Amino acid sequence: MRAVVVGAGFAGSLVAKVLGDNGFRVLVLEAGAEPNDDAVHRFRRALVKSPLAPYRTTAAAPSSRYVINTGPYAYSSPYLRMNGGTGTAWTGITPRMRPDDFRTADLGRGRNWPVGYADLEPFYRAAEWEIGIAADADEQRQHLPVADGYRYPMHALPRTYLDHAIASVVDGAWIDGRELLVVGTPQARNGIPVQGYRPDGHRCTGYASCVPICPENAKYTPHRTQKQWSDNVELRTRCVVNRVHADEFGRITKVSYQRYEDDTSGRHSRHEEEADVVVLAAHAIENAKLLLMSGLANSSDQVGRNLMDHPALLTWALMPHAVGPFRGPGSTTGIEAFRSGPERRVRAPFRIEIGNWGWGWSAGSPDSDTAEFVAAGLRGKALREAVADRVGRQFALQIEVEQEADPANRVTLAGDLDALGNPRPSIHYGLSDYVKDGLLAAKRVSERIFELLGADDYTSYKPDDERYFEHDGEPMRWWGAGHGGGTHVMGTSPRDSVVDQWQRCWDHPNLYAVGCGSMPSLGTSNPSLTMAALALRTAGHLVSRRVELGQAAHLAHDR
Amino acid sequence: MDAFLELSAELTGFSADELRSTGLVEQYRALADGAPENEIIQLWYTGVWRGVIPSERAYAEGLAWKAVGVAAPGTRAPGFGSWEQRPRSSAR
Repeated sequence: MRAVVVGAGFAGSLVAKVLGDNGFRVLVLEAGAEPNDDAVHRFRRALVKSPLAPYRTTAAAPSSRYVINTGPYAYSSPYLRMNGGTGTAWTGITPRMRPDDFRTADLGRGRNWPVGYADLEPFYRAAEWEIGIAADADEQRQHLPVADGYRYPMHALPRTYLDHAIASVVDGAWIDGRELLVVGTPQARNGIPVQGYRPDGHRCTGYASCVPICPENAKYTPHRTQKQWSDNVELRTRCVVNRVHADEFGRITKVSYQRYEDDTSGRHSRHEEEADVVVLAAHAIENAKLLLMSGLANSSDQVGRNLMDHPALLTWALMPHAVGPFRGPGSTTGIEAFRSGPERRVRAPFRIEIGNWGWGWSAGSPDSDTAEFVAAGLRGKALREAVADRVGRQFALQIEVEQEADPANRVTLAGDLDALGNPRPSIHYGLSDYVKDGLLAAKRVSERIFELLGADDYTSYKPDDERYFEHDGEPMRWWGAGHGGGTHVMGTSPRDSVVDQWQRCWDHPNLYAVGCGSMPSLGTSNPSLTMAALALRTAGHLVSRRVELGQAAHLAHDR
Repeated sequence: MDAFLELSAELTGFSADELRSTGLVEQYRALADGAPENEIIQLWYTGVWRGVIPSERAYAEGLAWKAVGVAAPGTRAPGFGSWEQRPRSSAR
């Protein structure tokens, strides 16, 4: 049984591992190169410490920078084409989706899932052990059903001093009929293991640079899973798959790919690989691009559509006293109270992340504070004290707002070609009033929380800021969270969805498209854990179909 | 004490000894001796010289971080759970 997996990121690495462990011969074709070993050094030298800054880029397989935007907004979530994928640069925050998030069409806007929380729960547990998640089951039960007797593989990470300071004020307070509670956020970084779990890598020691790089290797990346691959799995990097081929019956026969040798040119050789089953795991945008380039899986006309993300609202303030930001992980707790409820019918729900890295993301601190004080004429001791006071009291709320599946937000093929001669992805992306109402509601809640805390609200959105807009007369702004999904959406019918509940393309019995692209809604959770749970569920399904897939392959040969 | 170091100490609010301990005095003198005050301060505080970070050390030793009493992200590890403790006050 020959499986070809396209993409060695989060989903592809997990699927390849399970298939390899179960007797499949697996070839993983990764478009990017191997990671550069100077990434930490590049990070420190990078003027703007953006998610992709430390990592190798190649001319042949460019990362998200080669996307062409045509809609009202530039799609602002980066992705990385390198072995390990965006899972190398990710933040490592792993909340589960809530049960109601799987019924977004019934309860809010967008689409329902063909499966529910109960179907996915065992795979959430499996994914949490596979990835290595630090969290406390009883604490999570305060807002989610977690199986009885279940333990996460590692105890919850210690909270930050800031978390304690906020919880001591807001826990038990009410806003808009919701009782506030600061809840620990599950983390894909190493803490203290429970009995029976052996973490890979060191314990988190608080480098405070999880995005984009953990110098300690305390954060999970797909490289950990790759280390566990059996000999049945072969990885070829620098191989850009540019066509998946089907026979006249829709059965996938082979893939074509281009192999490049150097980082700076488009020079390449062309190859083909036959396969009994093909699993696309190249990222939501790249999966859609490859299906569109191949002219496959699109009888529903949904390939590339329903692109969604978490438009994030950042708000920032000063606590009345020093809290010591920029120590430890980026966020260790959140406020979960606004993730569901009847308001979901009229505006998008949201999850509030307590941001531990000052105003770094929102306002460029501490460089921006320094510049401001210097421009105001501060020098010497006065300057030093002003910076210490300002930065030492900083915190932010990072509020992820749900975006519903909207067929108008879509990936298509641009006329422009990349260095290999393949079409660049073209993206049309906008925000509905449902999302904007959610962002505005989040802003109001943030103002109330700052009031409760006695914090000075420094949030300001200006017309010349990127992604600025006005809504109901209010200045607003949003940020990209890097959570792209929906582009090969999962559903109950081939008429209006691309893949079934197993992430199998309706139009092709041996073609799977896995990853966030399959998700009909993102809820308000960072999606990587749900992607991992889905990947493990699909891998198990493939293992159970092994005999059938083998027989079908024989029949296809005989025809 | 040389004039550049003396001026740097006066502008930044960090003592000559504190500045020497960064190991950056020679590199910064070569870059910034005679530069406008705001550029000298920016270099010391943020490690940025005219849009470029000249060395990893320049980033790691940025005085803005030292003023706050934390390490520049990605440069030093204060230890598991250290983030739970009350921040130490460093301004003097």
